Amino acid sequence: MIGRRAIDWIWHVRGSLDIGPTQSAEDAFNRLSPLFRQAGTSHECSNNTLIFRKKNQAAQDRMAVFDGGILQIDTSMSGPVLHYDLNSRALLFCFLAPLLFLAIAQLTILTGKFDTTPAAQAIKQPAPKKPGIPMNAIDKALGAPAPDTSGKDAAQDKKPSPTPGYVFAGIFAALYVIGRWLEARLVRALFRAHLLVS
Amino acid sequence: MDGIRVGNRLIGTQAPVTVGWENIPRVEGGPFKQFVFTWFQPVALFALLAFWYYAPNSIAKASTAIGIGIGFKVLLLGLEWVNPRHESWRLTWKELATDLFYVGLTYTLIRLAENYIGSGVMAKALQHHFHWEKLAWFIGLPILVQAFLISFIFDFGQYWMHRGMHNWYPLWLPHSVHHYITQLNVNKGAVGNPVELFLIGLGIGGFFDFIPRAALIAGTFGLAIGTYQHINVRFNSPRWWRFLFNTTEHHSLHHSQDYEATRSNYAGSYIFIDRMFGTCIDGEAELLGMEGGRRMSIREQMTYPFTEGWKTIRQRMGRPIAVPAE
Repeated sequence: MIGRRAIDWIWHVRGSLDIGPTQSAEDAFNRLSPLFRQAGTSHECSNNTLIFRKKNQAAQDRMAVFDGGILQIDTSMSGPVLHYDLNSRALLFCFLAPLLFLAIAQLTILTGKFDTTPAAQAIKQPAPKKPGIPMNAIDKALGAPAPDTSGKDAAQDKKPSPTPGYVFAGIFAALYVIGRWLEARLVRALFRAHLLVS
Repeated sequence: MDGIRVGNRLIGTQAPVTVGWENIPRVEGGPFKQFVFTWFQPVALFALLAFWYYAPNSIAKASTAIGIGIGFKVLLLGLEWVNPRHESWRLTWKELATDLFYVGLTYTLIRLAENYIGSGVMAKALQHHFHWEKLAWFIGLPILVQAFLISFIFDFGQYWMHRGMHNWYPLWLPHSVHHYITQLNVNKGAVGNPVELFLIGLGIGGFFDFIPRAALIAGTFGLAIGTYQHINVRFNSPRWWRFLFNTTEHHSLHHSQDYEATRSNYAGSYIFIDRMFGTCIDGEAELLGMEGGRRMSIREQMTYPFTEGWKTIRQRMGRPIAVPAE
């Protein structure tokens, strides 16, 4: 499907790797097989194709970020080549997470408009000046600043604000870019290390 | 596995654990590294306390505390990189993204919920209904005493809430999700079902009148002590520190795959509360989690308490549950 192919790079990592002229498909898959003998991983191998699936993969599984994929070995003019197409729900989730946090930010704004709790009312009105707050003699002797009597309470900073939603949307957008680049590099290096092991 | 007898209990019959400080490895490396990882925790705590105690009112604000909290956690992530406790707990991109998702939920949705149904709102409602005044005598205490009491009272409540979660099935359901983490990293404390994250944040601080600065210092106790529950850094924590405060060692035992070991070390910051009630075990574990270390996806973490609860209700009501054929 052309439409899907245009967007599935978001959660698919594809690539190819020369595996050396002397290596057969069977040899190559044998060398890669430790990667698929992990908890929660199943795989099947037929002809020049290896298909794997992962469920509840361990955190330290070197391919934990992927949930499934296809590895194929083709013979080209320059020798056998490994083509891989791996899919990752984690990458898709991370790509969509900014939308979730933007939606939460909007929800926070919306609820703030209809907020009739006493705390919200207090924030909308100018804070009354507080009467003198007692200061313990020990704190006076140690030189601590006198308590603020301007009426601005430190707790007032705690009112729900959309800013954290925007910040986390930004964090996840950055995380996606880093993860999409990093995981593609790491898995390529992992395949290469296994295939070229002497 | 034979296990190790600790009082009346046998710890480590189901999964490997280490019991006793003398059996826990020390920081390896040169004198500089040893020095840094021995004194980092107390120096950070006292430096932060001094900052909040003397900061002018224009700086001593919740927004500053949030900034310091983020900066401190980034620093701790750096320490995880430099001196990991276990290679098997290394932070990966996927683990970081998962952890930050829960941190994000805490800062947004859960904070929003707390604004309407949190313990502060409940305390206000009770005070209004019964015409109670705030406990005004509290504000006359020295700031550090106020701060410690706010922190201690919260942790004392959290101890019993946490212990309740391990002993009462309806509370265990939302908490169980947190026990599916298989490694400890700086932000792993935020990982859990949102219902549990809301419950564990309940406290009775709303009944007291205190200087805002004391609340900020109380938050510092949580940041500079409680954060070390979930972290992949090996420290040579001083003897007095590990006697008073919860450490990664204590909390890793609480998260171990050994059932009996998980029924220990419930406090968030002050491990002496566990010592008071006989639930403290000094030790550590590397193999963590439930069901042999099965990692739970975010989707399952969100639904698990409800699906498991539903299954249990159906079982109790006598309806058979379809079991796949062997």
